[in-house]
Amino acid sequence: MSGNDGDMDEGRLDLVPMIDCIMLLLLFFMMTTKFTAEEKAISSLLPTDKGQGAASAQKKDPPPTVNICIYPEGMTKGYQPSEYAKQMDTVPRLRGAFANAQLRIGGREPMFITGKDLNSKGGKPMEDEVEMIHSYIFDELAKFEKPGESRDKQNDIVINCFSGLSWKFALIAYDAVRSYEAKAGNIKWTGNPDELATARAVSFAPPRIRDYTPNELGNELYEIIHTK
Amino acid sequence: MSGKKKRMRLPQADDHLDLVPLIDCVFLILLFFMLVGRLSTDQRTEQITVPPTKTAVKFDAEKAHWRREVINIFGATQKTDNGDSSPPRNTIRIGTKSFSQTGINDYTGYQQIRAILDKIYDQADKYPDTKVAGLMLPKVIIELRADSDTEYRVVQEVQQMLTDTMDLTTMQPKKNFDVKTLKAFVNLDFTTRKTTDRL
Repeated sequence: MSGNDGDMDEGRLDLVPMIDCIMLLLLFFMMTTKFTAEEKAISSLLPTDKGQGAASAQKKDPPPTVNICIYPEGMTKGYQPSEYAKQMDTVPRLRGAFANAQLRIGGREPMFITGKDLNSKGGKPMEDEVEMIHSYIFDELAKFEKPGESRDKQNDIVINCFSGLSWKFALIAYDAVRSYEAKAGNIKWTGNPDELATARAVSFAPPRIRDYTPNELGNELYEIIHTK
Repeated sequence: MSGKKKRMRLPQADDHLDLVPLIDCVFLILLFFMLVGRLSTDQRTEQITVPPTKTAVKFDAEKAHWRREVINIFGATQKTDNGDSSPPRNTIRIGTKSFSQTGINDYTGYQQIRAILDKIYDQADKYPDTKVAGLMLPKVIIELRADSDTEYRVVQEVQQMLTDTMDLTTMQPKKNFDVKTLKAFVNLDFTTRKTTDRL
C-alpha cells in the first residue's frame, strides 16, 4: 500500500512552475500591452499630366472641374483679401490649428465641420461627423453627375483647402469623394494603386501661394472662398 | 516514516525537473505571439494620430513586392497641455532623418528629402507612365503618414516635391525640363484609421 502511495505522489503534476510562468506572463502583458488601432490607408495617384508643374505641357483650356472648397469657420463671401487676413486672427483655434472648418462644393451652401470630433478617440461623435460630411458630399456630387459617362470621364474633382487648415479636413473630403465613387461606379477599393488608373481623377489643389505672410494668406482665403 | 524522509530530503543531482508545465507555457507564449504579434518597421513607430476615414483599407498585401517608404509629418495632436511637443509641428521625417522648416521661405528641408528620394528612385524598378511619354515611374509606394493637425500646405508641398516638378530653391514649378530626367513618385498611400476604430 505504502509503495502505491509513493507512486501517486510522483505522478502528481506539480503546478507551481506553471503558475509562476503565468504570473510572469500576466505581469509582462499588463506592463507592456498598448491597445492601438491598426493603421490603414487610402490610395492616391498623383497626376503627371495635370495641375501646376505637371510633367507634360498644360492645356490652355483645362476641363471643367468640380471644386470642393474648405476654409476656416465663420468666413463668408464679400470681403477683400486684407479683411480676410484680419478675420483669421479671430477664428477659434485648438492647439495652434484652426478648430473648425466650412466645406462647400461649387456655389452651394457650405457645411460646418467640427474639428474636435475628427480628433476624438472614436465613438459616436466622430462617426456622426464623418457621416454628415459624407452625406453632404454625396448629395452635392450627385448634382454634377454626367449620366452615361464612365467614372474617368466625369469632371475631375479638385479639393481646394486653405493652406493653414489641418490635413484632416482635406483627407475627409477625399475620403467622401472616394466613397461616392465606390457607390457610383460600383467599385470596391482594395488599396491597389492600379485601380486608380481608370478611376475619376481627384486631386488636391496646388498651393496658391508660396509666401505665408498674413497678406498672402488673405489672398488665398479670398480665392478659395470665391471659387465656384 | 519512509514517506516523510522522502519529502524532506534535499534535491539530489539525479532528480529530474518536470519540464512539462514550462513547455506548456512556452507553447502558449509562442501561440500568442504568432496570433497577435505584428511585424513593425522602424519607419512606422512614431506616435502620430492619423485622421479618420470611412473608406480606409488595410495596406495592400498584393503590392508587397513594391518598395514602401514612409514619410512621417508631425502635427499638433501630440502636444501636451503645456503646449510643447516633440518633434515640432510640421517636422517631416523620412527614415531616421527629420527635417524642420525654420522660416516661411526655407525649403532646405525639401531639398534634403528630395536628395534621399532621388536615391530611392535610382535603386527602384521602374515602369513607363501611361499619360506622359518618356516618364518612368518607380515601383515605390510613398506612404504619407501625416498627423491630423498637420497644416495642409505641408502635405501639399510634400506631394509636389514627390512629383519632382518643382524647383526646390524657390518652390516654383520647373521650367523647360525634360520629362525623361524627372524622378517622380506618384503612387501614394495616405495613412488613416477607420472611424470605427477606437484609440
